Amino acid sequence: MNGRRATTLVASREIRERLRSKAFIASTVLILALLGVSALLVRLVDPQETYRVAVTAPAPTGLAGALERAAQPFDDAKVRLRTVESAAAGRRLLEERGVDALLLLSADKLVFRQNVDVKAAAVADAAVRALRNELPPTPALTTATLHPPEHEPGDAAVLVAYAGSLLLFMSLAFYGQWVISGVVEEKNNRVVEVILSAVRPRDLLAGKVIGIGLLGFAQLALIAGLAAGMLVAGVFDAPAGLGVDIALVIPWFVLGFALYAVAYAVAGALASSQQNSETAGQPVTYALLAVYFAGYVALASDPEGLLASLLTVFPLTAPLVLPARGALVGVPLWQHLLAAVLVLAAIYALVRFAGRVYALGLLHGGSGLGLRAAWRIARAD
Amino acid sequence: MLGIEGVRKRFGPVEALAGCSFSLERGRMLGFLGPNGAGKTTAMRGIFGLVELDGGDVLWDGRPVGEEERLRFGYMPEERGLYPRMRVAEQLAYFGRLHGLEADTARAAAFDWLQRLGLADRADAKVEELSHGNQQRAQLAAALVHTPDLLVLDEPFAGLDPVAVRTLADVLRDEAARGAAVLFSSHQLDLVEEICEEVVIIDHGSIVAEGELDALRRASARRRIALQLEGAPSDWLPDVAGVELLARRNGTLRLAVGRDVDPKHVLAAAERVASVVEFRYGPPTLDELFLELVAR
Repeated sequence: MNGRRATTLVASREIRERLRSKAFIASTVLILALLGVSALLVRLVDPQETYRVAVTAPAPTGLAGALERAAQPFDDAKVRLRTVESAAAGRRLLEERGVDALLLLSADKLVFRQNVDVKAAAVADAAVRALRNELPPTPALTTATLHPPEHEPGDAAVLVAYAGSLLLFMSLAFYGQWVISGVVEEKNNRVVEVILSAVRPRDLLAGKVIGIGLLGFAQLALIAGLAAGMLVAGVFDAPAGLGVDIALVIPWFVLGFALYAVAYAVAGALASSQQNSETAGQPVTYALLAVYFAGYVALASDPEGLLASLLTVFPLTAPLVLPARGALVGVPLWQHLLAAVLVLAAIYALVRFAGRVYALGLLHGGSGLGLRAAWRIARAD
Repeated sequence: MLGIEGVRKRFGPVEALAGCSFSLERGRMLGFLGPNGAGKTTAMRGIFGLVELDGGDVLWDGRPVGEEERLRFGYMPEERGLYPRMRVAEQLAYFGRLHGLEADTARAAAFDWLQRLGLADRADAKVEELSHGNQQRAQLAAALVHTPDLLVLDEPFAGLDPVAVRTLADVLRDEAARGAAVLFSSHQLDLVEEICEEVVIIDHGSIVAEGELDALRRASARRRIALQLEGAPSDWLPDVAGVELLARRNGTLRLAVGRDVDPKHVLAAAERVASVVEFRYGPPTLDELFLELVAR
């Protein structure tokens, strides 16, 4: 039979049987429920925002009320207005973080300390217009900052980077565990002998990895879809442009999964008959954990440092580190390309190696075949 | 036709196959015999590429066996294995499809075999819910579902009750009658003697006998005599050179003699001391032949 047909059959069996399993349905429902609960919690604990605005004396009558009204559409935000003696006093207060913005009505200017808060600016703009009975589109206010704005990653980018890499790490380990438990089950109950009497080992391996990968991808897509829907519906706050960073997680899940799932499958094939899938998969899980923490440390200390750059392109770490670093500080295009090429090369090498040792490991019962022995045999071929 | 030609396999210090050759025609049933550890399972796995042979050839109709050929083979390994949580009929259809059947054909074949093996009412049960005997039947069906040209079964009768042994023997006979080449290993030599035309006996990785069962028995250098006497002394033995006592029970003696010993001399010696109730002379049974050939 041609390999693609065998691979398709194996992959569709994996999908069919797993879709039927209670564990799969339960885990999907659980994750979706957690997402729903988290959205609810965000709503419940989301603090009301209060903008502190200073204005030079004398403040026009009705400004405080106009600001209050203008802030209402923004999730019932509050505005606290303070009157200062002069523009200089206002700048001092702004510098000392006594207020978030300084309104200079004479100059039609709204001054921030370092970064422009778009919401606060919109509130002030609307209030001033209302006060002057002006209508859009002419902006009533221009914005300015005391210091040049810093390109510091925003809170949302940090969230995407760390939550995203945690999610990637967990899903690689989670779906990798599916692969290994499937391999160990086939090996331990000997059904693999019947299958390998008709199917090439690499087609069995490919079918398993692709089937479980597609299912994992579908599960992640369902979750990501729901999360995206919640973003659109405004359940979570997120700045524009974050979509690209989130989208970057998807190809790297695919590449990372291909790499680590094959590693898990090989670990399963080499396991002894006494080992269960958890212990057999430990070496790969530990490697994944080490990669995750190395990436975390490198990015937390200096996302633009040498270590972070190296981990961005190193094949084992790239799937976790690159999307996170991309969200934090951006990754140059050449590093994207280099990382992709290196990961694909690593997948190719691993699949070749796996194709050789998979059958040997699977058909080698009892004590299990050590990685070193497997390597020796694979090299001898 | 299956041709095994000079296959060799060494596991470290152990020579599992030391250059074995034998062949099997379509429509024939071959019993593959040998003591434990003789190399039977290694040879059968070699046919399916499940062990990498160190040398020799496995041929089907004169051509080396590859992936395409193996799709037309059916295998029942010694260590049974099916997916425990997969439904029986679906699992059989899956194996059929892995062997190249289309979905509809595979499903129909799966139901045919379940019907035939008395498992039709369990088609939607998971394999782990089946009794041990029914799991064995499902395993057999998995090897047969794609109507293979060559059927290789490793110890298919082990652990079966007498009724199941009968069913399996009938199935194997039918498969051979359909035109399949059937190769199976077994320690149940009386059964092999009953259903096989041919046997191969392997010991220490080498073939020690191969061919038509009757011819092999006749070719033995020894003959068997069963002698039932009345009134003979309890320790009597015929005074003929080359006679060996195998067993004595309730006046019945079982003797082994060389092929050149004339049985009439034994009969005459017996008639001199007692009245002979029964006298049988013939080649050894498969069981006796086996013990002769693989005596350690």
